[in-house]
Amino acid sequence: MASNKRWIALFVIFVIISLGSGCQGERKSIEGRCDYDGAKIEPLYAVYFTLQDGTEKNFCSIACASMSFSALKKQIKEVRVVDEPSGNKINASDAFFVESEIVTVPHVKNRIHVFAKKEEALKHIQKFIGNCNWVEHPFLL
Amino acid sequence: MILNALSITMIFIGALSALLAIWGGISSLILYRKWKRPATPEEKTSLEDRSYLILLIMVIVLVVRLINWPLFYVTLQSFISDIEGAMCIFGVTQVKVDLTRFSEILKPITFFFIGAWLILHVLDRATKTSPLMRRKLFLLSIISLLVLIDSLGDIFLILGIAPESLVSCCTTITDILNRPTRTTPESIFGPQYARFLQSIFLITHLALIGFVGLILRSKKPRRAILGFLCLFSIVNAALFLLSQIEVFAPRMMHLPFHHCLYCLWQYVPDSIVMYLLFILGTFSVGWGFTTELFGRQGEAADLLPGCLRKIYIGLPFSFCRRL
Repeated sequence: MASNKRWIALFVIFVIISLGSGCQGERKSIEGRCDYDGAKIEPLYAVYFTLQDGTEKNFCSIACASMSFSALKKQIKEVRVVDEPSGNKINASDAFFVESEIVTVPHVKNRIHVFAKKEEALKHIQKFIGNCNWVEHPFLL
Repeated sequence: MILNALSITMIFIGALSALLAIWGGISSLILYRKWKRPATPEEKTSLEDRSYLILLIMVIVLVVRLINWPLFYVTLQSFISDIEGAMCIFGVTQVKVDLTRFSEILKPITFFFIGAWLILHVLDRATKTSPLMRRKLFLLSIISLLVLIDSLGDIFLILGIAPESLVSCCTTITDILNRPTRTTPESIFGPQYARFLQSIFLITHLALIGFVGLILRSKKPRRAILGFLCLFSIVNAALFLLSQIEVFAPRMMHLPFHHCLYCLWQYVPDSIVMYLLFILGTFSVGWGFTTELFGRQGEAADLLPGCLRKIYIGLPFSFCRRL
């Protein structure tokens, strides 16, 4: 009987330690990840939502951002995307979106590319002619 | 094949347990058939000696197969960085979808039967006359078949997962609006289905704990009640999974639109402890029923109430210790 109690005590200690260490690890691991699916964000393909209350939501791809967009639309103040050739953050309303066969974020098979200049977007379309087309603006507020 | 320490371990365990499962399964079936036949004392002693050897080796194999279930997921987790497009175990499962799904279904079934058999074995070992030996041998031959299929499945899967395969991960499948885990409860409970799922989850869990409490209070629980409890725990497990996917996993991950349980294990590692306890708890209810079903014979019948009590108190590890 005493032996059973020892096992129970060991088990309880194990659960408490796991819960404690797990909670700490969780906070660390979620920071800097996509707010839709928790994937690691590649800055070149990231999308940033600024909400009315000033908080920011970061997404790993256009795919993840557009899936969140419908749910968050009323709270969004500004959407920023990254211009692929330069890596600069630009307002989504000024961006050009093109879909081609090149996958940018493999886990969501995102094929939408972002450009700040129309000429760059056209260049991309010409490079992948036949498998490339303009995409309707995914973040119309 | 993706070569790392875990994949090699999985293949080694798979090959070894497949070979021993063939040997153990055939031997136990032969012994089962010989057990009831009239025999001289020398033949009887030789039969008993052989059975103890088989049981000893097979107990080790079965315990290794128990550990193999979590090891399977740890191995898949180790493949994530080698599969393009995989961000959690879900992505890895997409490389060989059918084989992985088959393994994922077979593993809990094998785990359950191995656990049930080991409990029966412990109960039999506590007796002086081994009244359950024949049943044990018969069940062992069936479990050996499961172990064999499971082991071969592991080997083929690990060998078949090619590095740098391109897959889509969970986001494109588990988060779509017409996923069955959303549409099914929504068609029953309406748009507020998440709140209902949460309530049902709590009610069924409390009910299950209550039923187990009632069984612990009764001195001789009836088989039909234990069977009902076993079915109830299966329903409870299905509701647990549904509510985890739709309600609790997104909350625990702080990702309100993401419903992948593999991501949950990755981002909130302490949820693994919760899942482990849930699996042990649910399986304990089933193990109680199987022990009552197969363990009520001869001398073992007297020890059965005490054994059931231990199972329902939730101390399956107290049995492992005795092995």
